[in-house]
Amino acid sequence: MSANEIPSPQPVYLYGVVRAGGTLAFDEAGVGGRPLELVEHDGVAAVVSDFPADDDFRVRRSDLHAHLRSVERIFEQATVAPCPFGTVIGSREQVEWDFLGPRRDELQTLLERLEGHVQMNVKAEYDEQTVLADLVADDPEIGRLRERTKALGTAAYYENIRLGELIASRLAARREAAAAEIEAVLAAAAAAAVSEPAGAGGLLVFKGSFLVAREALAEFDRALEALAAGRAPQLRFEATGPLPPIAFATLEPEAAAWA
Amino acid sequence: MAVAQRGTASNYLQRAPSPSGLAEVLDVILDKGLVIDAYVRVSVIGIEVLTIDARIVIASVDTYLRFAEAVNRLDLAQTETAGIEELRGGGKKQETKGAIEGAKDALTPGSKDKQKSR
Repeated sequence: MSANEIPSPQPVYLYGVVRAGGTLAFDEAGVGGRPLELVEHDGVAAVVSDFPADDDFRVRRSDLHAHLRSVERIFEQATVAPCPFGTVIGSREQVEWDFLGPRRDELQTLLERLEGHVQMNVKAEYDEQTVLADLVADDPEIGRLRERTKALGTAAYYENIRLGELIASRLAARREAAAAEIEAVLAAAAAAAVSEPAGAGGLLVFKGSFLVAREALAEFDRALEALAAGRAPQLRFEATGPLPPIAFATLEPEAAAWA
Repeated sequence: MAVAQRGTASNYLQRAPSPSGLAEVLDVILDKGLVIDAYVRVSVIGIEVLTIDARIVIASVDTYLRFAEAVNRLDLAQTETAGIEELRGGGKKQETKGAIEGAKDALTPGSKDKQKSR
């Protein structure tokens, strides 16, 4: 057999890691329309599908949905440590020997930690009209600038920027305290929390993910409801979940701190 | 599950079991999760372009001008009452989302030229 008869390895797309030995129903196609399967190694298993090796492959909107849907389907059936979108490994052999093998113990520990938990995503934003009205009423400088820009209209380009900048900075000052309160209240009802910094100029106050034990979901929900009710009408909350624990599937050493 | 099924009637707390819009889906699945050592991973052009574009930041000046416009539009007498609701139509949220969705559309199939020029 000559060397050029050896087929080039088939790259695989990874959805996440589960414990080996379970039976999972993969009834929907994954990224690129390919079927899902398991690559098992010594107690752990990666959920993968063939990744289209041809150079013309381009990510489609449907692939993003297929990734999330696949991870959600796995999550319905097993404890899963999900991978980020776009994780591709050169071959099944590499999945086994370069990933599952060397990381086996860490993956086991991670799966133990995630077992029985879900992720809740929470976002809080200022209600624009309410918070702006409040700032105008509260701050004489904003009130004065507003009178001028109202009179001048779009001709007041620099005044408009100055006014907007002032509003953004006042919002930023309020935001910090509000975000800290939200995180503290919800983290108290969760096993772990991660938050993302809110951008400087927008209405976003808080964006974060919480790892919640299934049996504590009702408690988390009550805390969220009370928090949101207490902050209305200035803030509007959005909660998404229960999701697979994507934001908590990390092998980094600092993650051990939440044990 | 309790959280998903509880009412979404209040206007201060919206609940959804799963993200639906593209921006929300990206938010959940990009940059989060089990990161595999770089030497094992394969680079995939389309995916990398996508993750870069997902971080589109709306320029601050635009944000400032939008705030100014919104505050100029405010009728203070009206905002003391329930009249706020009717001002809410073309709010900031929709515009921002629109911009992000638009950027994503450029990445959907058949946009090879755009990807090459990046």
